[in-house]
Amino acid sequence: MDIQTRLFRRQATRIAGVAWITFLMILAGASFARAQDPAQTKPAAATTKAKPKKLVTQEALGAPVKALGNPSAPITLEVFSDYMCPQCRNFYINTLTLMIQDYVAAGKVYLIHRDFPLPIPQHKYNWDAARWGTAAARIGKFEVVDNALYINEPAWEADGDIQKIVASVLSPSELKRVQKQVAPCLAQTPANLRPAAPAGESCSLDAYINQDIALGKAVPVNATPTMVITYKGRRYPPTSGFISWPILRQFFESLLSQ
Amino acid sequence: MLLARIALAVIFLAAAYAKLKPQTSEPWSAASVMTSLSMFAMQVDSYQLLPETMVSLAAHFLPPFEMVLGLWLLSGIALRFSSLLTTLLLAGFFAVMVRTFALGLEINCGCFGPGEKLGPRTLLRDGSLLALSLILTAGAFLRSRRRSPEAEPASAVSATQRAD
Repeated sequence: MDIQTRLFRRQATRIAGVAWITFLMILAGASFARAQDPAQTKPAAATTKAKPKKLVTQEALGAPVKALGNPSAPITLEVFSDYMCPQCRNFYINTLTLMIQDYVAAGKVYLIHRDFPLPIPQHKYNWDAARWGTAAARIGKFEVVDNALYINEPAWEADGDIQKIVASVLSPSELKRVQKQVAPCLAQTPANLRPAAPAGESCSLDAYINQDIALGKAVPVNATPTMVITYKGRRYPPTSGFISWPILRQFFESLLSQ
Repeated sequence: MLLARIALAVIFLAAAYAKLKPQTSEPWSAASVMTSLSMFAMQVDSYQLLPETMVSLAAHFLPPFEMVLGLWLLSGIALRFSSLLTTLLLAGFFAVMVRTFALGLEINCGCFGPGEKLGPRTLLRDGSLLALSLILTAGAFLRSRRRSPEAEPASAVSATQRAD
């Protein structure tokens, strides 16, 4: 081997050695940094992966389900309603409650509540009531709150103290979850009767109520309560006003017997 | 008078048809007619005037009765009676509608099937029909009275002749 070749081999070996050491140092450094990351630190006994840190501060809730019964029931009844409308209350108490116990429970009717707060000055708290109902629907408590709102309407219509009514049917933790949603939205309710609004929160409930209103305008809904009945994909013309349970049941039976 | 009679007849036949026809895209059948009548019963019930047993009876009776009345008017037979019955029926409808509107009940009229809100427009329309029916009834009775004096001299003469 000549001198030049030996020199070249020596230099190459040095360069390779330095590169290899550098690589090892980088590897060691990376391992060290990773070991220091708390997210990656596992307790000795843990067998599952640690969950990533939650980046959002508020509860992630889905769309409200303001419906009762089996969605695959043959009859779907959509009721466009205003919580402060006397006929709506009458219809709920004297017809819908009976229907819920009978035909909804039996899987014959799927009842959908659609908020349609009327722009009437006397219906001062109808939007706030709809917001409480919608917020309750987002935590799966629509039925009890809807019932409480209608039954106790004479109590809250004067001062708008809906929170008291809702509190009577929800647990403290459920009430907190609902309050958090409605607090940024309650425009009409007097300040002393409203839950405190968390800073930086915006009202997300009105979008759902406006969706219902848009559906109602497409029907079109001219008054409340208005019912839209669908049977096997066939939508019947809307019917407004109070309908007694025996007459409504007669109509359902005529559909089911087809 | 002829125009009034035909107009009222057509209106009654149209009203009966609107209440009996299938309310969706389903074909005509006995079942669809029963469903339509049940739907009409809901509209009658929304007036909150009759007890439940009467609601169903009225709802199943009225549309066929309107059809018969329409055909009767069209035929012109016994116009005094058909027009009088029409007037009484329309007067009843109008009174109920005025009462319901005054009570502030926001419901469907149900006059020509579902979907038409009860309001000033429907009141004006039914009021006009009532007025037309009154004119027809008055005309039918007046015409009948005019015909009766013409018949008297002939019968008087024949009675005199028989006496002779």
